[in-house]
Amino acid sequence: MKKFNKISVICIALTVVLSGLVYLKVSAEANTKQISQIRNECSSLKNTLNQLHVSDALLRVNMGQRYELMSTKLMDRFNSRAASNNFKTDILDESSNKYKSMLDVFRSDYKAYEEKMVLAIKIDCQSEPSVFYDALVSARSSRAQVYRDVVTLSQQIDDYRAAVSQFEKAYQAVGEKG
Amino acid sequence: MDDDQTFEPESLSFWGKRRFVLLIILAIIVASILVGVAMMMYNSSGAAQLDLSRPGYVDVRDKTVDSSGDFKNYSSSGTIDQKSIDEFKALYDEQASKTKAADAFKGDPLNPDAMGINATP
Repeated sequence: MKKFNKISVICIALTVVLSGLVYLKVSAEANTKQISQIRNECSSLKNTLNQLHVSDALLRVNMGQRYELMSTKLMDRFNSRAASNNFKTDILDESSNKYKSMLDVFRSDYKAYEEKMVLAIKIDCQSEPSVFYDALVSARSSRAQVYRDVVTLSQQIDDYRAAVSQFEKAYQAVGEKG
Repeated sequence: MDDDQTFEPESLSFWGKRRFVLLIILAIIVASILVGVAMMMYNSSGAAQLDLSRPGYVDVRDKTVDSSGDFKNYSSSGTIDQKSIDEFKALYDEQASKTKAADAFKGDPLNPDAMGINATP
């Protein structure tokens, strides 16, 4: 009887999980009206994707340079100056290292997004509208991930600033003792 | 004249007679392999995504902003005192606010609604 109960529980769990997966799959697919819209608007959609692809590339170049300079021209230099004066820089190093790791994540996520955009642009939306729609959905979710990375980077820029304030307090405390 | 030192092409093998052609073929094969490896590195490193000299980017090529001049150099050497900390904070705050203000990649331009393919079943 116990064995039967176990099997029932496993079967119910599997049914719930599989139906959830099927629901997700169906909800992500294009319906017939969308397929017909994609066919009708194919060239316009391609044009929009191309424009977005180009403008995002420019944004990536300009923002990437800014993020890089925040690290190399400000964070690294302040950390190095504090360390050369024999101050404890653990909190500054930790914060700037987190920022650098996030910058690497941003680079790789943008690369993944760009590859998905190129894939979507290459698909013939007249003959393969469903495949085109799937590629579009995939590129959309990758772009959202890139935006989340940008938000995290902004947060980490603030975190480093907070670390500098903590360093300043420690410096002032040493000065008062001295 | 010594007959033993005379060069006789007839005595060479098939590839021996065509060694110049062989050299060119080998050079082309080696060059193709090196170009293939370079292209793989170019694509896998993420450099391709930053290369606006690719075809299709002509319109935005001159819109790149060189921010390096905007970042004033904070010296990595020198003493640490209240003045140098204040100087750093001012430089950092200025650049941090500019960087955060861009709020890049916001919005959802690939949303089916925005793309005009929002038909409901």
